[in-house]
Amino acid sequence: MSDSGSYGRRMGSALILLILLVGAVFTLFPVYMGVLNSFKTQGAMMNDMMAFPSQLEFKNYADAIHKTSFSRSLWNTVVVTAVGLFGIILFAAMAGYKLSRTPGKLSGFLFGLFVMSMLIPFHSIMITLTRIAKELAVQGSRVGLGMIYIGIGVSMAIFLYHGFVKSVPRELDEAAVIDGCGEFRLFAVVIFPLLLPITATIAILNTLWMWNDFLLPLLMLTDFKTYTLLLSTNMLFGEYGNNDWSAILSSLILAMLPMIVLYLILQKYILNGIAEGAIKG
Amino acid sequence: MASKTRRWKQTVTLLAFVFPALLFYAVFLLASAFGGIWYSFTDWNGLNPIYKWVGFGNYIEALTGDPVFLNSVGFTLKYVVCIVVFQNLIALGLAILIESRGRGKAWFRTIFFMPNMMSMIIGGFMWLFIFTKVLPYIAEHTLLHALDQSWIGDPRFSFIAIMIVSLWGGAGYLMVIYLAALQGVPQSLKEAAAIDGAGSFQTLRNITLPMIYPAITIGLFVTLNSSFKAFDVIYALTGGGPGRATQVLALNIYEEAFKMSNRFGYASAKAMILFLFVFLVTLIQLWVMKKREVEV
Repeated sequence: MSDSGSYGRRMGSALILLILLVGAVFTLFPVYMGVLNSFKTQGAMMNDMMAFPSQLEFKNYADAIHKTSFSRSLWNTVVVTAVGLFGIILFAAMAGYKLSRTPGKLSGFLFGLFVMSMLIPFHSIMITLTRIAKELAVQGSRVGLGMIYIGIGVSMAIFLYHGFVKSVPRELDEAAVIDGCGEFRLFAVVIFPLLLPITATIAILNTLWMWNDFLLPLLMLTDFKTYTLLLSTNMLFGEYGNNDWSAILSSLILAMLPMIVLYLILQKYILNGIAEGAIKG
Repeated sequence: MASKTRRWKQTVTLLAFVFPALLFYAVFLLASAFGGIWYSFTDWNGLNPIYKWVGFGNYIEALTGDPVFLNSVGFTLKYVVCIVVFQNLIALGLAILIESRGRGKAWFRTIFFMPNMMSMIIGGFMWLFIFTKVLPYIAEHTLLHALDQSWIGDPRFSFIAIMIVSLWGGAGYLMVIYLAALQGVPQSLKEAAAIDGAGSFQTLRNITLPMIYPAITIGLFVTLNSSFKAFDVIYALTGGGPGRATQVLALNIYEEAFKMSNRFGYASAKAMILFLFVFLVTLIQLWVMKKREVEV
Protein backbone atom coordinates (compact mmCIF):
# COMPACT_ATOMS: atom_id res chain seq x y z
CA MET A 1 0.00 0.00 0.00
CA SER A 2 2.61 2.51 1.05
CA ASP A 3 4.86 1.18 -1.72
CA SER A 4 2.31 1.82 -4.44
CA GLY A 5 1.63 5.26 -2.88
CA SER A 6 5.26 6.31 -3.08
CA TYR A 7 5.49 4.81 -6.57
CA GLY A 8 2.51 6.91 -7.64
CA ARG A 9 4.01 9.98 -6.08
CA ARG A 10 7.31 9.41 -7.87
CA MET A 11 5.51 9.00 -11.18
CA GLY A 12 3.55 12.19 -10.51
CA SER A 13 6.70 14.06 -9.67
CA ALA A 14 8.41 12.79 -12.83
CA LEU A 15 5.40 13.85 -14.91
CA ILE A 16 5.49 17.35 -13.41
CA LEU A 17 9.19 17.61 -14.16
CA LEU A 18 8.56 16.48 -17.73
CA ILE A 19 5.82 19.07 -18.30
CA LEU A 20 8.01 21.84 -16.88
CA LEU A 21 10.97 20.76 -19.00
CA VAL A 22 8.86 20.77 -22.17
CA GLY A 23 7.62 24.24 -21.23
CA ALA A 24 11.16 25.47 -20.61
CA VAL A 25 12.37 24.11 -23.96
CA PHE A 26 9.42 25.77 -25.70
CA THR A 27 10.21 29.09 -23.97
CA LEU A 28 13.87 29.03 -24.90
CA PHE A 29 13.46 27.54 -28.38
CA PRO A 30 12.99 30.75 -30.44
CA VAL A 31 15.86 32.49 -28.67
CA TYR A 32 18.08 29.43 -29.07
CA MET A 33 17.28 29.18 -32.77
CA GLY A 34 17.89 32.89 -33.16
CA VAL A 35 21.30 32.76 -31.52
CA LEU A 36 22.27 29.59 -33.37
CA ASN A 37 21.47 30.92 -36.82
CA SER A 38 22.76 34.42 -36.19
CA PHE A 39 26.26 32.91 -36.34
CA LYS A 40 25.74 31.32 -39.76
CA THR A 41 25.94 32.72 -43.25
CA GLN A 42 22.66 32.82 -45.11
CA GLY A 43 23.79 29.81 -47.17
CA ALA A 44 24.83 27.74 -44.17
CA MET A 45 21.54 28.56 -42.51
CA MET A 46 19.43 27.38 -45.44
CA ASN A 47 21.58 24.28 -45.69
CA ASP A 48 21.05 23.17 -42.11
CA MET A 49 18.99 25.25 -39.74
CA MET A 50 19.30 23.04 -36.68
CA ALA A 51 23.03 22.35 -36.74
CA PHE A 52 25.69 24.13 -34.77
CA PRO A 53 27.51 26.60 -36.99
CA SER A 54 30.62 24.92 -38.41
CA GLN A 55 32.44 28.19 -37.96
CA LEU A 56 31.25 31.22 -36.07
CA GLU A 57 30.28 33.96 -38.51
CA PHE A 58 30.76 37.25 -36.68
CA LYS A 59 30.24 39.28 -39.81
CA ASN A 60 26.46 39.27 -39.22
CA TYR A 61 27.00 41.02 -35.91
CA ALA A 62 29.46 43.50 -37.35
CA ASP A 63 26.90 44.32 -40.05
CA ALA A 64 24.04 44.63 -37.58
CA ILE A 65 26.07 46.89 -35.28
CA HIS A 66 26.94 49.07 -38.24
CA LYS A 67 23.52 49.19 -39.90
CA THR A 68 21.50 49.84 -36.77
CA SER A 69 24.15 52.23 -35.36
CA PHE A 70 24.00 50.02 -32.33
CA SER A 71 25.95 52.13 -29.86
CA ARG A 72 24.06 55.28 -30.76
CA SER A 73 20.68 53.52 -30.58
CA LEU A 74 21.64 52.03 -27.24
CA TRP A 75 22.64 55.44 -25.91
CA ASN A 76 19.38 56.98 -27.19
CA THR A 77 17.39 54.31 -25.38
CA VAL A 78 19.39 54.96 -22.19
CA VAL A 79 18.76 58.72 -22.42
CA VAL A 80 15.01 58.35 -22.94
CA THR A 81 14.65 55.80 -20.14
CA ALA A 82 16.85 57.76 -17.73
CA VAL A 83 14.97 61.04 -18.23
CA GLY A 84 11.64 59.28 -17.79
CA LEU A 85 12.77 57.31 -14.76
CA PHE A 86 14.30 60.32 -13.00
CA GLY A 87 11.16 62.41 -13.44
CA ILE A 88 8.71 59.65 -12.58
CA ILE A 89 10.51 58.69 -9.37
CA LEU A 90 11.23 62.20 -8.10
CA PHE A 91 7.92 63.85 -8.99
CA ALA A 92 5.74 60.88 -8.06
CA ALA A 93 7.50 60.40 -4.72
CA MET A 94 6.96 64.07 -3.84
CA ALA A 95 3.33 64.07 -4.93
CA GLY A 96 2.50 60.65 -3.50
CA TYR A 97 4.03 61.56 -0.13
CA LYS A 98 2.23 64.88 0.28
CA LEU A 99 -1.09 63.60 -1.06
CA SER A 100 -0.96 60.74 1.40
CA ARG A 101 -0.10 63.02 4.34
CA THR A 102 -2.53 65.86 3.64
CA PRO A 103 -6.18 65.35 4.54
CA GLY A 104 -8.97 67.27 2.84
CA LYS A 105 -10.96 67.66 -0.33
CA LEU A 106 -8.26 69.21 -2.51
CA SER A 107 -5.85 66.40 -1.76
CA GLY A 108 -8.51 63.78 -2.46
CA PHE A 109 -9.46 65.47 -5.71
CA LEU A 110 -5.87 65.63 -6.96
CA PHE A 111 -5.24 62.00 -6.07
CA GLY A 112 -8.42 60.99 -7.88
CA LEU A 113 -7.37 63.03 -10.90
CA PHE A 114 -4.10 61.11 -11.14
CA VAL A 115 -5.58 57.68 -10.53
CA MET A 116 -8.36 58.25 -13.05
CA SER A 117 -5.93 58.16 -15.95
CA MET A 118 -4.91 54.59 -15.15
CA LEU A 119 -8.15 53.70 -16.96
CA ILE A 120 -7.12 55.37 -20.20
CA PRO A 121 -5.45 53.15 -22.79
CA PHE A 122 -2.46 54.73 -24.52
CA HIS A 123 -4.01 54.21 -27.94
CA SER A 124 -6.88 56.49 -26.96
CA ILE A 125 -4.61 59.47 -26.36
CA MET A 126 -1.84 58.91 -28.91
CA ILE A 127 -3.42 60.85 -31.76
CA THR A 128 -3.84 64.11 -29.88
CA LEU A 129 -0.55 63.51 -28.08
CA THR A 130 1.42 63.63 -31.34
CA ARG A 131 -0.28 66.92 -32.09
CA ILE A 132 0.56 68.40 -28.67
CA ALA A 133 4.14 67.15 -28.93
CA LYS A 134 4.49 68.87 -32.26
CA GLU A 135 3.07 72.14 -30.94
CA LEU A 136 5.43 72.10 -27.96
CA ALA A 137 8.35 71.17 -30.23
CA VAL A 138 9.21 68.07 -28.18
CA GLN A 139 8.51 65.75 -31.10
CA GLY A 140 11.76 64.36 -32.45
CA SER A 141 13.70 64.91 -29.24
CA ARG A 142 14.90 62.17 -26.91
CA VAL A 143 14.57 64.32 -23.81
CA GLY A 144 11.12 65.35 -25.02
CA LEU A 145 10.14 61.70 -25.32
CA GLY A 146 11.40 61.11 -21.78
CA MET A 147 9.24 64.00 -20.61
CA ILE A 148 6.16 62.49 -22.24
CA TYR A 149 6.91 59.25 -20.40
CA ILE A 150 6.89 61.25 -17.16
CA GLY A 151 3.42 62.57 -17.98
CA ILE A 152 2.08 59.10 -18.78
CA GLY A 153 3.93 57.23 -16.04
CA VAL A 154 3.49 59.36 -12.90
CA SER A 155 -0.06 58.18 -12.14
CA MET A 156 0.77 54.60 -11.31
CA ALA A 157 3.91 55.62 -9.41
CA ILE A 158 1.92 58.15 -7.35
CA PHE A 159 -0.60 55.44 -6.58
CA LEU A 160 2.13 53.08 -5.34
CA TYR A 161 3.94 55.77 -3.31
CA HIS A 162 0.64 56.97 -1.85
CA GLY A 163 -0.05 53.49 -0.47
CA PHE A 164 3.48 52.93 0.78
CA VAL A 165 3.80 56.24 2.64
CA LYS A 166 1.01 55.12 5.01
CA SER A 167 3.48 52.61 6.47
CA VAL A 168 6.00 55.36 7.28
CA PRO A 169 5.31 56.65 10.82
CA ARG A 170 4.04 60.21 10.99
CA GLU A 171 6.06 60.92 14.14
CA LEU A 172 9.12 61.16 11.90
CA ASP A 173 7.63 64.14 10.05
CA GLU A 174 6.71 65.89 13.26
CA ALA A 175 10.04 65.29 14.96
CA ALA A 176 11.88 66.66 11.95
CA VAL A 177 9.64 69.75 11.79
CA ILE A 178 10.28 70.44 15.50
CA ASP A 179 13.99 70.20 14.76
CA GLY A 180 13.45 73.08 12.34
CA CYS A 181 13.75 71.06 9.18
CA GLY A 182 12.07 72.61 6.12
CA GLU A 183 9.47 70.65 4.16
CA PHE A 184 11.66 69.87 1.16
CA ARG A 185 14.65 68.96 3.28
CA LEU A 186 12.46 66.72 5.41
CA PHE A 187 11.33 64.95 2.27
CA ALA A 188 14.79 64.64 0.74
CA VAL A 189 16.71 63.64 3.85
CA VAL A 190 14.22 61.74 6.00
CA ILE A 191 11.31 60.49 3.90
CA PHE A 192 12.72 59.61 0.48
CA PRO A 193 15.34 57.15 1.79
CA LEU A 194 12.57 55.33 3.68
CA LEU A 195 10.65 54.85 0.42
CA LEU A 196 13.48 52.82 -1.10
CA PRO A 197 11.64 49.45 -1.29
CA ILE A 198 8.75 50.85 -3.32
CA THR A 199 11.13 53.05 -5.32
CA ALA A 200 12.93 49.89 -6.43
CA THR A 201 9.65 48.34 -7.56
CA ILE A 202 8.66 51.50 -9.42
CA ALA A 203 12.08 51.75 -11.07
CA ILE A 204 11.88 48.14 -12.29
CA LEU A 205 8.33 48.38 -13.66
CA ASN A 206 8.99 51.66 -15.44
CA THR A 207 12.35 50.67 -16.87
CA LEU A 208 10.79 47.55 -18.38
CA TRP A 209 7.95 49.59 -19.81
CA MET A 210 9.96 52.46 -21.31
CA TRP A 211 12.87 50.36 -22.56
CA ASN A 212 10.56 47.95 -24.36
CA ASP A 213 7.99 50.47 -25.57
CA PHE A 214 7.73 50.67 -29.31
CA LEU A 215 4.71 52.69 -30.40
CA LEU A 216 5.38 55.98 -28.61
CA PRO A 217 8.98 56.27 -29.89
CA LEU A 218 7.70 55.31 -33.34
CA LEU A 219 5.33 58.28 -33.25
CA MET A 220 7.75 60.73 -31.63
CA LEU A 221 11.24 60.09 -33.00
CA THR A 222 11.39 61.01 -36.64
CA ASP A 223 15.13 61.30 -37.21
CA PHE A 224 17.26 58.18 -37.58
CA LYS A 225 19.91 59.77 -35.34
CA THR A 226 17.51 59.71 -32.40
CA TYR A 227 16.19 56.17 -32.96
CA THR A 228 16.00 53.83 -29.98
CA LEU A 229 17.13 50.20 -30.21
CA LEU A 230 13.67 48.97 -31.14
CA LEU A 231 13.20 51.59 -33.83
CA SER A 232 16.48 50.90 -35.57
CA THR A 233 15.87 47.15 -35.35
CA ASN A 234 12.43 47.66 -36.84
CA MET A 235 13.93 49.78 -39.59
CA LEU A 236 16.52 47.15 -40.42
CA PHE A 237 13.77 44.55 -40.56
CA GLY A 238 11.79 46.74 -42.93
CA GLU A 239 14.81 47.04 -45.21
CA TYR A 240 15.80 43.40 -45.34
CA GLY A 241 12.31 42.07 -44.92
CA ASN A 242 11.94 38.38 -44.93
CA ASN A 243 15.01 37.65 -46.98
CA ASP A 244 18.24 38.06 -45.11
CA TRP A 245 17.39 36.38 -41.83
CA SER A 246 20.95 35.83 -40.67
CA ALA A 247 21.48 39.60 -40.64
CA ILE A 248 18.16 40.28 -38.92
CA LEU A 249 18.61 37.62 -36.26
CA SER A 250 21.90 39.08 -35.09
CA SER A 251 20.29 42.51 -34.75
CA LEU A 252 17.43 40.98 -32.74
CA ILE A 253 19.88 39.26 -30.40
CA LEU A 254 21.78 42.52 -29.96
CA ALA A 255 18.59 44.44 -29.23
CA MET A 256 17.46 42.03 -26.51
CA LEU A 257 20.92 41.64 -24.98
CA PRO A 258 20.93 44.64 -22.58
CA MET A 259 17.72 43.59 -20.88
CA ILE A 260 18.70 39.93 -20.71
CA VAL A 261 22.00 40.85 -19.05
CA LEU A 262 20.13 43.11 -16.61
CA TYR A 263 17.76 40.25 -15.89
CA LEU A 264 20.54 37.79 -15.15
CA ILE A 265 22.13 40.25 -12.71
CA LEU A 266 19.00 41.57 -10.98
CA GLN A 267 16.48 38.78 -11.47
CA LYS A 268 15.63 38.42 -7.78
CA TYR A 269 14.71 42.09 -7.50
CA ILE A 270 12.92 42.12 -10.84
CA LEU A 271 10.72 39.13 -10.05
CA ASN A 272 9.89 40.50 -6.59
CA GLY A 273 9.16 43.92 -8.06
CA ILE A 274 6.74 42.43 -10.60
CA ALA A 275 4.81 40.53 -7.93
CA GLU A 276 4.80 43.53 -5.60
CA GLY A 277 3.65 45.97 -8.28
CA ALA A 278 0.81 43.75 -9.42
CA ILE A 279 -0.53 43.06 -5.95
CA LYS A 280 -0.46 46.69 -4.86
CA GLY A 281 -1.43 48.16 -8.23
CA MET B 1 -6.45 82.60 13.12
CA ALA B 2 -3.38 80.52 13.77
CA SER B 3 -5.11 77.41 12.47
CA LYS B 4 -6.18 79.28 9.36
CA THR B 5 -2.63 80.26 8.47
CA ARG B 6 -1.59 76.68 9.18
CA ARG B 7 -4.25 75.35 6.82
CA TRP B 8 -3.15 77.87 4.22
CA LYS B 9 0.47 76.82 4.61
CA GLN B 10 -0.53 73.19 4.32
CA THR B 11 -2.34 73.83 1.03
CA VAL B 12 0.60 75.74 -0.42
CA THR B 13 3.00 72.95 0.51
CA LEU B 14 0.69 70.36 -1.01
CA LEU B 15 0.51 72.26 -4.28
CA ALA B 16 4.27 72.78 -4.33
CA PHE B 17 4.88 69.04 -3.93
CA VAL B 18 2.27 68.02 -6.46
CA PHE B 19 3.01 70.68 -9.06
CA PRO B 20 5.86 69.04 -11.07
CA ALA B 21 3.96 65.77 -11.48
CA LEU B 22 0.74 67.59 -12.26
CA LEU B 23 2.40 69.77 -14.89
CA PHE B 24 3.68 66.85 -17.00
CA TYR B 25 0.51 64.89 -16.38
CA ALA B 26 -1.80 67.72 -17.41
CA VAL B 27 0.15 68.76 -20.50
CA PHE B 28 0.72 65.32 -21.98
CA LEU B 29 -1.99 63.08 -20.63
CA LEU B 30 -5.03 65.09 -19.58
CA ALA B 31 -4.81 67.50 -22.51
CA SER B 32 -4.46 64.57 -24.92
CA ALA B 33 -7.40 62.74 -23.40
CA PHE B 34 -9.74 65.73 -23.49
CA GLY B 35 -8.44 66.81 -26.88
CA GLY B 36 -9.19 63.34 -28.17
CA ILE B 37 -12.78 63.55 -26.98
CA TRP B 38 -13.15 66.92 -28.70
CA TYR B 39 -11.59 65.84 -32.00
CA SER B 40 -13.70 62.69 -32.10
CA PHE B 41 -16.67 64.94 -32.85
CA THR B 42 -14.93 66.75 -35.71
CA ASP B 43 -13.71 66.00 -39.23
CA TRP B 44 -10.17 67.20 -38.46
CA ASN B 45 -7.48 65.70 -40.72
CA GLY B 46 -4.50 66.46 -38.51
CA LEU B 47 -3.04 69.22 -40.65
CA ASN B 48 -5.74 71.59 -41.74
CA PRO B 49 -6.36 74.19 -39.03
CA ILE B 50 -9.94 74.49 -40.23
CA TYR B 51 -12.26 71.68 -39.29
CA LYS B 52 -15.89 71.39 -38.47
CA TRP B 53 -18.08 69.80 -35.86
CA VAL B 54 -19.78 66.63 -37.07
CA GLY B 55 -21.53 65.50 -33.88
CA PHE B 56 -21.77 61.74 -33.56
CA GLY B 57 -21.07 61.31 -37.27
CA ASN B 58 -17.70 59.62 -36.74
CA TYR B 59 -19.12 57.21 -34.18
CA ILE B 60 -22.03 56.32 -36.42
CA GLU B 61 -19.71 55.76 -39.37
CA ALA B 62 -17.38 53.55 -37.32
CA LEU B 63 -20.16 51.41 -35.92
CA THR B 64 -22.32 51.10 -39.04
CA GLY B 65 -20.36 51.96 -42.17
CA ASP B 66 -16.88 50.56 -41.59
CA PRO B 67 -16.70 46.77 -41.94
CA VAL B 68 -12.92 46.80 -41.45
CA PHE B 69 -13.32 48.47 -38.07
CA LEU B 70 -16.12 46.12 -37.05
CA ASN B 71 -14.00 43.17 -38.08
CA SER B 72 -11.18 44.46 -35.93
CA VAL B 73 -13.58 44.80 -32.98
CA GLY B 74 -14.67 41.20 -33.51
CA PHE B 75 -11.11 39.97 -33.86
CA THR B 76 -10.07 41.88 -30.73
CA LEU B 77 -12.89 40.34 -28.69
CA LYS B 78 -11.95 36.86 -29.89
CA TYR B 79 -8.31 37.55 -29.01
CA VAL B 80 -9.24 38.95 -25.58
CA VAL B 81 -11.36 35.94 -24.64
CA CYS B 82 -8.71 33.44 -25.72
CA ILE B 83 -5.88 35.32 -23.98
CA VAL B 84 -7.78 35.79 -20.72
CA VAL B 85 -8.65 32.09 -20.56
CA PHE B 86 -5.43 30.49 -21.75
CA GLN B 87 -2.92 32.90 -20.27
CA ASN B 88 -4.40 32.49 -16.81
CA LEU B 89 -4.79 28.72 -17.09
CA ILE B 90 -1.22 28.26 -18.29
CA ALA B 91 0.25 30.70 -15.78
CA LEU B 92 -1.66 29.16 -12.88
CA GLY B 93 -0.77 25.65 -14.02
CA LEU B 94 2.91 26.50 -14.29
CA ALA B 95 2.88 28.21 -10.91
CA ILE B 96 1.25 25.23 -9.20
CA LEU B 97 3.62 22.75 -10.85
CA ILE B 98 6.69 24.83 -10.01
CA GLU B 99 5.55 25.38 -6.43
CA SER B 100 5.09 21.62 -5.98
CA ARG B 101 8.76 21.00 -6.75
CA GLY B 102 11.55 21.19 -4.25
CA ARG B 103 14.55 21.58 -6.48
CA GLY B 104 14.82 23.64 -9.65
CA LYS B 105 12.09 26.09 -8.64
CA ALA B 106 14.23 29.16 -9.23
CA TRP B 107 15.46 27.88 -12.57
CA PHE B 108 12.01 27.36 -14.01
CA ARG B 109 10.80 30.69 -12.67
CA THR B 110 13.74 32.45 -14.30
CA ILE B 111 13.23 30.76 -17.67
CA PHE B 112 9.48 31.21 -17.91
CA PHE B 113 9.66 34.91 -17.05
CA MET B 114 12.52 35.60 -19.48
CA PRO B 115 10.38 36.58 -22.53
CA ASN B 116 8.89 39.44 -20.50
CA MET B 117 12.26 41.15 -20.43
CA MET B 118 12.15 41.81 -24.15
CA SER B 119 9.80 43.84 -26.28
CA MET B 120 7.21 41.83 -28.14
CA ILE B 121 8.52 43.54 -31.26
CA ILE B 122 11.74 41.55 -30.84
CA GLY B 123 9.84 38.43 -29.73
CA GLY B 124 7.46 38.77 -32.66
CA PHE B 125 10.24 39.04 -35.25
CA MET B 126 12.01 36.08 -33.67
CA TRP B 127 8.87 33.96 -33.88
CA LEU B 128 8.29 35.10 -37.44
CA PHE B 129 11.59 33.39 -38.22
CA ILE B 130 10.38 30.25 -36.44
CA PHE B 131 7.05 30.21 -38.28
CA THR B 132 8.28 31.04 -41.76
CA LYS B 133 11.67 29.28 -41.81
CA VAL B 134 12.26 26.86 -38.95
CA LEU B 135 8.93 25.04 -38.85
CA PRO B 136 8.83 24.39 -42.62
CA TYR B 137 12.43 23.18 -42.34
CA ILE B 138 11.56 20.79 -39.51
CA ALA B 139 8.51 19.57 -41.42
CA GLU B 140 10.63 18.85 -44.44
CA HIS B 141 13.37 16.97 -42.61
CA THR B 142 11.39 15.03 -40.03
CA LEU B 143 8.09 13.23 -39.80
CA LEU B 144 6.33 16.29 -38.35
CA HIS B 145 4.83 17.23 -41.71
CA ALA B 146 1.88 18.92 -39.99
CA LEU B 147 4.19 21.79 -39.03
CA ASP B 148 4.41 22.93 -42.62
CA GLN B 149 1.52 25.37 -42.67
CA SER B 150 1.06 28.85 -43.91
CA TRP B 151 1.35 30.12 -40.32
CA ILE B 152 1.34 33.78 -41.26
CA GLY B 153 -0.46 33.76 -44.60
CA ASP B 154 -3.59 31.83 -43.66
CA PRO B 155 -5.97 33.66 -41.27
CA ARG B 156 -6.88 30.47 -39.40
CA PHE B 157 -3.26 29.65 -38.67
CA SER B 158 -2.15 33.21 -38.14
CA PHE B 159 -4.58 33.47 -35.24
CA ILE B 160 -2.95 30.39 -33.71
CA ALA B 161 0.47 31.89 -34.36
CA ILE B 162 -0.53 35.13 -32.64
CA MET B 163 -1.89 33.19 -29.68
CA ILE B 164 1.31 31.14 -29.35
CA VAL B 165 3.53 34.21 -29.34
CA SER B 166 1.25 36.17 -27.00
CA LEU B 167 1.11 33.31 -24.51
CA TRP B 168 4.85 32.77 -24.81
CA GLY B 169 5.42 36.43 -24.03
CA GLY B 170 2.77 36.93 -21.35
CA ALA B 171 2.27 33.77 -19.30
CA GLY B 172 5.52 34.22 -17.34
CA TYR B 173 4.40 37.58 -15.98
CA LEU B 174 1.21 36.15 -14.49
CA MET B 175 3.09 33.07 -13.31
CA VAL B 176 5.26 35.30 -11.10
CA ILE B 177 2.12 36.85 -9.58
CA TYR B 178 0.55 33.44 -8.98
CA LEU B 179 3.75 32.05 -7.49
CA ALA B 180 3.88 34.94 -5.02
CA ALA B 181 0.27 34.21 -4.05
CA LEU B 182 0.90 30.47 -3.68
CA GLN B 183 3.82 31.14 -1.37
CA GLY B 184 1.43 33.09 0.84
CA VAL B 185 -0.72 30.01 1.48
CA PRO B 186 0.20 28.78 4.99
CA GLN B 187 1.94 25.40 4.92
CA SER B 188 0.09 24.41 8.09
CA LEU B 189 -3.26 24.54 6.30
CA LYS B 190 -2.06 22.16 3.61
CA GLU B 191 -0.56 19.83 6.20
CA ALA B 192 -3.78 19.83 8.18
CA ALA B 193 -5.69 18.89 5.04
CA ALA B 194 -3.23 16.08 4.31
CA ILE B 195 -3.64 14.71 7.85
CA ASP B 196 -7.40 14.77 7.33
CA GLY B 197 -6.82 12.51 4.36
CA ALA B 198 -7.15 14.99 1.50
CA GLY B 199 -5.29 14.10 -1.69
CA SER B 200 -3.14 16.68 -3.41
CA PHE B 201 -5.90 17.44 -5.91
CA GLN B 202 -8.45 17.95 -3.14
CA THR B 203 -6.04 20.19 -1.24
CA LEU B 204 -5.55 22.23 -4.38
CA ARG B 205 -9.28 22.64 -4.97
CA ASN B 206 -10.45 23.22 -1.44
CA ILE B 207 -7.52 24.98 0.21
CA THR B 208 -5.08 26.48 -2.29
CA LEU B 209 -7.39 27.90 -4.95
CA PRO B 210 -9.76 29.66 -2.52
CA MET B 211 -6.73 31.12 -0.72
CA ILE B 212 -5.36 32.69 -3.88
CA TYR B 213 -8.66 34.06 -5.17
CA PRO B 214 -7.49 37.69 -4.93
CA ALA B 215 -4.50 36.88 -7.16
CA ILE B 216 -6.77 35.20 -9.70
CA THR B 217 -8.93 38.33 -9.82
CA ILE B 218 -5.80 40.40 -10.42
CA GLY B 219 -4.66 37.97 -13.12
CA LEU B 220 -8.01 38.12 -14.93
CA PHE B 221 -8.06 41.87 -15.09
CA VAL B 222 -4.39 42.29 -15.91
CA THR B 223 -4.95 40.07 -18.96
CA LEU B 224 -8.26 41.74 -19.87
CA ASN B 225 -6.64 45.14 -19.79
CA SER B 226 -3.49 44.23 -21.66
CA SER B 227 -5.20 42.13 -24.34
CA PHE B 228 -7.59 44.92 -25.31
CA LYS B 229 -4.52 47.05 -25.98
CA ALA B 230 -2.47 44.42 -27.84
CA PHE B 231 -0.36 45.98 -30.56
CA ASP B 232 3.32 44.98 -30.65
CA VAL B 233 2.88 41.24 -31.15
CA ILE B 234 0.56 41.67 -34.08
CA TYR B 235 2.51 44.54 -35.62
CA ALA B 236 5.67 42.42 -35.66
CA LEU B 237 4.18 39.04 -36.50
CA THR B 238 1.47 39.58 -39.11
CA GLY B 239 1.18 43.36 -39.44
CA GLY B 240 -2.57 42.78 -39.19
CA GLY B 241 -2.58 40.50 -42.22
CA PRO B 242 -3.20 38.53 -44.30
CA GLY B 243 -5.27 41.36 -45.70
CA ARG B 244 -6.64 42.76 -42.48
CA ALA B 245 -7.73 39.46 -40.99
CA THR B 246 -5.73 39.85 -37.78
CA GLN B 247 -6.03 43.59 -37.31
CA VAL B 248 -6.69 44.42 -33.66
CA LEU B 249 -8.35 47.66 -32.52
CA ALA B 250 -5.13 49.42 -31.57
CA LEU B 251 -3.61 48.63 -34.95
CA ASN B 252 -6.75 49.76 -36.76
CA ILE B 253 -6.64 53.11 -34.93
CA TYR B 254 -2.92 53.50 -35.64
CA GLU B 255 -3.37 52.84 -39.35
CA GLU B 256 -6.40 55.08 -39.64
CA ALA B 257 -4.58 57.99 -38.04
CA PHE B 258 -1.02 57.63 -39.26
CA LYS B 259 -0.88 55.31 -42.26
CA MET B 260 -3.87 55.53 -44.54
CA SER B 261 -6.21 58.43 -44.42
CA ASN B 262 -4.89 60.83 -41.77
CA ARG B 263 -8.49 61.19 -40.65
CA PHE B 264 -7.54 62.21 -37.12
CA GLY B 265 -11.10 63.07 -36.12
CA TYR B 266 -12.44 59.74 -37.29
CA ALA B 267 -9.54 57.82 -35.73
CA SER B 268 -10.14 59.70 -32.46
CA ALA B 269 -13.72 58.42 -32.41
CA LYS B 270 -12.42 54.86 -32.79
CA ALA B 271 -9.94 55.55 -29.99
CA MET B 272 -12.83 56.64 -27.75
CA ILE B 273 -14.65 53.41 -28.54
CA LEU B 274 -11.55 51.49 -27.40
CA PHE B 275 -11.48 53.60 -24.25
CA LEU B 276 -15.13 52.77 -23.55
CA PHE B 277 -14.35 49.05 -23.82
CA VAL B 278 -11.49 49.33 -21.31
CA PHE B 279 -13.54 51.63 -19.09
CA LEU B 280 -16.43 49.15 -19.01
CA VAL B 281 -14.09 46.30 -18.11
CA THR B 282 -12.60 48.36 -15.29
CA LEU B 283 -16.01 49.26 -13.90
CA ILE B 284 -16.94 45.58 -13.84
CA GLN B 285 -13.62 44.86 -12.17
CA LEU B 286 -14.24 47.39 -9.39
CA TRP B 287 -17.76 46.10 -8.92
CA VAL B 288 -16.63 42.47 -8.67
CA MET B 289 -13.84 43.32 -6.23
CA LYS B 290 -16.14 45.32 -4.00
CA LYS B 291 -18.73 42.58 -3.98
CA ARG B 292 -16.13 39.99 -3.08
CA GLU B 293 -14.78 42.16 -0.27
CA VAL B 294 -18.26 42.36 1.21
CA GLU B 295 -18.66 38.60 0.99
CA VAL B 296 -15.33 37.95 2.69
